Amino acid sequence: MPFTLETMEEIASLHGEPAWLRKRRRSSFDAFERLPAPSRIDEEWRRTDVSGFDPGQYSKLEHLDGQKLVLPSTLPPGVILKPLRQAAQDHPDLVEPRLFSLVHADRDRFTALHAAFFTGGTFLYVPDGVVIEQPVIGQHFSHEGGTSVLPHTLIVAGKGARFNYLDEYIAEDGNEIGYRSGSTEIFAGEGSQVGYVAVQKWGRNAWHFADQRAELQKDASLRLFNVTLGARFSKTRVEATLQGQGADAELKAIYFASGEQFFDFHTLQDHQVGNTRSDLLFKGALQDVARTVYAGLIRIEKGAARSDAYQANRNLVLSDHAKATSIPMLEIDNNDVRCTHGATVGPVDPLSMFYLRSRGIPEATAKRMIVQGFFGDVLDRIPFEHARALVEAELEARLG
Amino acid sequence: MATVPKVDVGTDYKEKYGFFVPEDYVFKAKRGLNPEIVKEISWMKKEPEWMTKMRLRSLEIFRKKPMPKWGADLSVIDFENIFYYLKASDKQSTSWEDLPPDIKKTYDRLGVPEAERKFLAGVSAQYESEVVYHSLQKELTAKGVIFTDTDSALRDHPELFKEYFGTVIPPADNKFSALNTAVWSGGSFIYVPKGVRVDVPLQAYFRINAENMGQFERTLIICDEGSFVHYIEGCTAPIYSTDSLHSAVVEIIVKKNARCRYTTIQNWSTNVFNLVTKRAMAYADATMEWVDGNLGSQITMKYPSVYLMEPGAKGDVLSVAFAGKGQHQDAGGKMIHVAPNTTSTITSKSISKAGGRTSYRGHIKIYPGATNSKSFVKCDALLLDDESRSDTYPYNDVDAENVTLGHEATVSKVSDEQLFYLMSRGITRSEAETMIVNGFIEPFTKELPLEYAVELNRLIQLEMEGSVG
Repeated sequence: MPFTLETMEEIASLHGEPAWLRKRRRSSFDAFERLPAPSRIDEEWRRTDVSGFDPGQYSKLEHLDGQKLVLPSTLPPGVILKPLRQAAQDHPDLVEPRLFSLVHADRDRFTALHAAFFTGGTFLYVPDGVVIEQPVIGQHFSHEGGTSVLPHTLIVAGKGARFNYLDEYIAEDGNEIGYRSGSTEIFAGEGSQVGYVAVQKWGRNAWHFADQRAELQKDASLRLFNVTLGARFSKTRVEATLQGQGADAELKAIYFASGEQFFDFHTLQDHQVGNTRSDLLFKGALQDVARTVYAGLIRIEKGAARSDAYQANRNLVLSDHAKATSIPMLEIDNNDVRCTHGATVGPVDPLSMFYLRSRGIPEATAKRMIVQGFFGDVLDRIPFEHARALVEAELEARLG
Repeated sequence: MATVPKVDVGTDYKEKYGFFVPEDYVFKAKRGLNPEIVKEISWMKKEPEWMTKMRLRSLEIFRKKPMPKWGADLSVIDFENIFYYLKASDKQSTSWEDLPPDIKKTYDRLGVPEAERKFLAGVSAQYESEVVYHSLQKELTAKGVIFTDTDSALRDHPELFKEYFGTVIPPADNKFSALNTAVWSGGSFIYVPKGVRVDVPLQAYFRINAENMGQFERTLIICDEGSFVHYIEGCTAPIYSTDSLHSAVVEIIVKKNARCRYTTIQNWSTNVFNLVTKRAMAYADATMEWVDGNLGSQITMKYPSVYLMEPGAKGDVLSVAFAGKGQHQDAGGKMIHVAPNTTSTITSKSISKAGGRTSYRGHIKIYPGATNSKSFVKCDALLLDDESRSDTYPYNDVDAENVTLGHEATVSKVSDEQLFYLMSRGITRSEAETMIVNGFIEPFTKELPLEYAVELNRLIQLEMEGSVG
């Protein structure tokens, strides 16, 4: 197992990481060694086969310095935006209590590995009342195959802060093999408004694991959007905890799986207090022999009266051999709520197809138009223009 | 399959004949579960050797299988402290006076006749419907229909029995089907020949004697090509049972063009763990309908399923669950699409009250090759107060082309608008709530025979008043 304690110490010392972070890496490493590999008896992994994945094969860590940050031309005073490891040294008071407090290192072997060896990643701190008009963009590149790229994003929004952030995971070689994980923790303070978009475009043979978790205080609003296009295997957890009254989380995603791609999504809308709202919509199209698994849970805690939660997963199956699994779950412990969920799996609607064909549109074009239309209503929910244009262009390119 | 009974004295002599018969020649029930008890059950029933062996093999499987980790908490079941087989004479020990007062009160309020009450409470074994049963039996026999208890079927129709028993739900299916196969007793056996339609719903009620309300019932229904039968088990009035574990297995085979409807109204007393495996195989153009109501018990785990084996098969589950104080109803349905052009629907309605918990748990699996299949699942939950809980766990796996699958669920409380409307018409709050709940489960009630529907409505009324359980 080349992901060793020595490698880990090396990463830490190379960059002069503070003692608390080293200690944390070490305990994550212990968890990694201790935790068993997920087995098919585990409900979460029943349909998700990781038996063919050996992270040890990709233990060379790429670009320890993190990523390219596309900074807005001017940053308001007080805003901290720097590589996460740099921030750990410079602002331990802000980073130490939060890092891996939402995404727990000991949740499973892969989160533990990520927490022990994470390299790149961004820290963004926006103080109370500060607004950043232009979006902040973190681009995570992988330059070569056979390596690991493990960036971690930590976002802290102060009271009433308002900004948009985009994480872009980009492979230079579209066919690269490797281990990728991109995890994100978001602390949305009272009354803050945070837009977060993650666009995953790793190479088609990569293994990708992502844990995104947000915590929303009173009246905070989060608009989180995922786009999953790359990797042979991609497992993404998207979780939001609504901790303060009036919190509002919108969790949306689109995915387009083709070839032999396998995508897994696990989501959680955790309403801990009342008068909170969450709205989830995951839409995906599947082609060729691709497979997708969606499993989501709305959890309404006992006291969370007058919560409003919505959860939907829609799958458009474009080929004969693609497979989609959809498991939308509810656990409702309070009666004064509004909760609805729905799931659909289906082919292209023959009526729509007939309509388009009867207008003289060739079948391939008609199919593309239907797919575009299918994604259309979610694309409108991408929180800011830059990301929207990017995602539209990506989809356009992939639909051909 | 022809059976040649093997007489091989010597090798398995001890296993077959080496049991100990008590001096007074009366079977004394013992608690606990071991090969001796299983052998004794089989011996008591004078079963053929293959059944004894199957029971013993199932016991092994039961031992090996772990307890399910999902669903309700079953850790409190003490398998060693249960009577696995009781003769009729052992069962009638309960007296009317010993019944819990709430059960007696419910009988009163429901207006259940005295004789029927005693029967339901397990106090008496006789029930007037025997007369009905005898005239019905004559009619059925004329048509070639077999309707009997499962023990007699094994004795009287061994070939038919052996051909189908354990084929839909093999012992190794799950821990509780293994337990049932090891210690089963009672239940119904129905065979409907080709093209025969049974117009009267067959009710377990009709042929019940004290032996019937077993803990480990085993029901087997075979609908031959083009036939139809409607079977009803249970009843709306609460059934008092001192046994804490009930684990039944129901197997149904619906052949080409046949239709079977199986209606259950489960209302065990609230000390009972009710863990049931129900499954049907539906062949070409056949229809299987489960109408399943769960009102009683402490914990119910039950997911009636239909395997759609050949093109054109159709499966339907209509399920209602009511969970009051201390109850957990973990119910739902499964539809396994194996063949193309198959369709299925699951409709689930659940109501939780006074801290009760209802869970819908379902699985739609569409295998490769089951093209042009359609499946639709709808779950509605009503939470009557903020102590109660409702969960939905639907698993949808689509592995075939051109399949349409939909799932929808809502969780809500009794709406203020509806309440306001009714109350503004001078109806009291509790009456209004009852009306709304009755309206909510109406899609279920209207599928029931009239007398059941009436009783169910009355029962919901009682539950809503909080006077029961």
